[in-house]
Amino acid sequence: MLEARAFEPEYLRKLDRLVLGIQRARTVRSGQRTLGRIQGLGIEPENFKEYAPGDDLRFLDWNAFARLDELMLRTYRADRQVEITALVDASASMGLPERDDKLGLALAIGASLAYIGMADNDAVRIGAFAMHRGAMKLEATPFHRRRESYLNFKPFVTSVRAGGETRLGAAVDELLLQRRPAGTVVVISDFLVNEGDVEDALKRLVAARHDVKVVHVMGEQESTAAYPSGLYRVRDAETGEVRETVLGPAGVAALRRSVEKIAARIREICMAHAITYAQAFGAVNLESFMERELPLLGIVR
Amino acid sequence: MGLLNPQNVIYGLSLALLVLIYLRSRSRPTIEVSSLMLFDEAPAPAASVRHVRIDPLFWLEMLTLAALTFAIAGLYVMRPPSPGHGRSHALVFDLGAGMSAREGAGTRIDQARQQAVEVIDQAPPGDEFSVIAYALEAQMRHPQTANLADLRKALGDLVPMAVPARTAALRAALIRARGASEIDLFADRPPAPAILADAGSTARVNFHPVGSGDSNLAIVSLDPGIPGSTRARAEIRNFSARPLPAELAIDLGNSEQFHQTMMLAPREQVVVGFGPLPAGGLLRARILTPDAIDADNTRYAYAPSEVAAQVLVLSPDAAVRDDIARVLLAVNANFQIETADPAKYVAPSGPNAKPLELAVMHDCYLPAVKAESTLLIYPPRAAKNGIGISVDGTLVSADIRGDATGESTALNSLALGATRIVAIPEWMDLLATATATGHSSIPIAAVGRAADGPVGVLAYDVRDHLLLAPDHLDALVLTVDLIKQLTAPHDILIVPTGADVSVPATGTARVIQPDASVRSVAADKWGRVRIRPLQAGRYTVESGGVTTQVLANYYDAAESDVGAKPQAEPSAPVRKAAAASNAQSAKEVQPLVFILIALALIALTVESAMLIGHTGRWGMGHV
Repeated sequence: MLEARAFEPEYLRKLDRLVLGIQRARTVRSGQRTLGRIQGLGIEPENFKEYAPGDDLRFLDWNAFARLDELMLRTYRADRQVEITALVDASASMGLPERDDKLGLALAIGASLAYIGMADNDAVRIGAFAMHRGAMKLEATPFHRRRESYLNFKPFVTSVRAGGETRLGAAVDELLLQRRPAGTVVVISDFLVNEGDVEDALKRLVAARHDVKVVHVMGEQESTAAYPSGLYRVRDAETGEVRETVLGPAGVAALRRSVEKIAARIREICMAHAITYAQAFGAVNLESFMERELPLLGIVR
Repeated sequence: MGLLNPQNVIYGLSLALLVLIYLRSRSRPTIEVSSLMLFDEAPAPAASVRHVRIDPLFWLEMLTLAALTFAIAGLYVMRPPSPGHGRSHALVFDLGAGMSAREGAGTRIDQARQQAVEVIDQAPPGDEFSVIAYALEAQMRHPQTANLADLRKALGDLVPMAVPARTAALRAALIRARGASEIDLFADRPPAPAILADAGSTARVNFHPVGSGDSNLAIVSLDPGIPGSTRARAEIRNFSARPLPAELAIDLGNSEQFHQTMMLAPREQVVVGFGPLPAGGLLRARILTPDAIDADNTRYAYAPSEVAAQVLVLSPDAAVRDDIARVLLAVNANFQIETADPAKYVAPSGPNAKPLELAVMHDCYLPAVKAESTLLIYPPRAAKNGIGISVDGTLVSADIRGDATGESTALNSLALGATRIVAIPEWMDLLATATATGHSSIPIAAVGRAADGPVGVLAYDVRDHLLLAPDHLDALVLTVDLIKQLTAPHDILIVPTGADVSVPATGTARVIQPDASVRSVAADKWGRVRIRPLQAGRYTVESGGVTTQVLANYYDAAESDVGAKPQAEPSAPVRKAAAASNAQSAKEVQPLVFILIALALIALTVESAMLIGHTGRWGMGHV
């Protein structure tokens, strides 16, 4: 239900002045062609370098050669539009606890970021992934560039339902197989999966020269362990595994410790790979999240 | 330890309910979570507390409910009386006529009194006694007391009555004595085991039999016959197992009519005929031979006057007029009966008009008819204006249920024909009721004294020869009784002992009893005093210069049979129960109600304190 708020005019007005800070300019070695990549041709000089055999002679600075009698290549800053993909985890774990509406929060954040990303006419899309019956199901919208077409996201966003298992690695594989140019990928998930899988998936995104941002979503009840005291039989929504546990003061403290530990570990992974990390704990805090955490994602006014 | 009423243990279901609530609240609900990773460090339940957790609040509530359940069920313990705390005794006395039987120098009640004094004297100091007497009903003569002087006075005030001791009264007396730890029963015959069982007492019942003689004679009945016409007769019975002489004297007014001594065989009942009586009047039969009980040695009867009395019978039905005339002649052959159709009847007037002794009006009411007594049979609605008897409707049929006074057992169940629904005024005494469809009880016979004289009412119709039908004898008996009451002299009432008698009076009446004692009785708003003769003999009621004689006859075959010892040997189970009762008699019942309620209150208080503690710990305003 929370995802519907991302399409409310009043809410969108708050996002109008925000811009997504992304690594729009990338340093590329002039004359070096990179297979499978689109070379941007900028006009803003960045640096000079000595000529090496095989360099593209079109970037040779003939004036410098005339003055210095040395072959120098001029490098330029590539100025281009990037593709932004908001990748939302739609596994079963995102549907629980129900009252937290974690998936709704994730979709709302994803849609909000898409809206902000459209400010510079960047190509934006929203995708959702989950593993269903052993097969990765990655669904995504087409790219949209202008905010006028923002509402085209709404049918997709409101139709996403939680279900299946979280396989972030498989989702990244699916994404990379699309062979899109390097852009910005915002991964929005609760990351309640094996941390090795998370790290591997994020590493591969970075390796593919994507600018990766991570939004760690958790529910209010889940993150504060706000369960009534008592003896419980808990069942994992994704694996079906059942365990008995006692939720008293000690149990609640243990739960909170687990949440903090998971969040700390994800943050560590992100720091290790120069990935932007932001937390969105608690579905009710959508506005506060957008105000407090967006700067961490590079959102500027 | 025991329960006074095990059925009340059903409240123990509340315990089961509490356990169910507890188990429900303690059951482990299954919740679906996003991932078990979050619960990796959460503690798992210890195996030892998987099924039952030590929850102090639960156990306190359990204790409270259990205590209240057992308190309601009347949990008690049997324990020996504590030093300084005396036992309670109930002294229960039979005051039936049999207890007045002479035994040696005294009577049976004297023997019982003596035995009771011995019981009191042998009891340890501190024991308390109550005195309960029964005959027609049970009566607490003195509540529990340790004051021996008061007790002896209460014992001295016990006087046997000329009535049979009813079983229901004994049962009621034992129920009243149920709170005592020991019951001492003084009677001339042992109680039936079923009565002891019905009383439900856990106390030991000590039966003290009194009396051993059996030489009693009694006048069973006295029939004056019809003066100058039919012979009178008296029935005498010998209750002894040996032959006894009986000297019988019969007086009519102040003149002796019969005097004879006869020898009665063992347990023989003889009919002695005499007369016919020369005139009507009060007839008294006496047994002059000394025997055990005096109350059944005198009997009164009233011989109707030999003077012709005028009786008027009015009915629209000629057959009914004829039937009623036959019945009237059977009651008194000296009646001069005139019958007429009310539509054609003209009341005679002037000096030649003879005063009517009785006017019988069937299905009609003529206010112009003046008689000393009036009998309305199947009265019409018009009767209300004259006498005050209102008729609210007519039933197609009714069923005689029984006689209201309880004196006759002959009236069991008898289908009547058409019956009026009659509202009996308060100044009349109800004699019999009936049931009908839609009516649980309707009066069918009543008698009372109106301003113009005695009035009787029979609500049922006597058409179709109801009074002469052999299978409707009860209706005939009821009619004859009512006619006899209406034609009896107004200053003489002959009643059985124990019956309620209403006598016309103004203001306060002075009642002189057979033992010459005098008491005053205030008349009610209907101008009558009610007395209940409990001694056989003559009661004189004086009021406003008018004197009414109430003659109480006593005879009860069971009570007068002073030698009978029915059910002397209790049955085996009863003996066993009695033995068990005796084994317990050394102990007394100690109810635990107060202890259990106190326990429940303490548990509730502790629970409240714990809840308050939880409130503070959880930082809540209330729990």
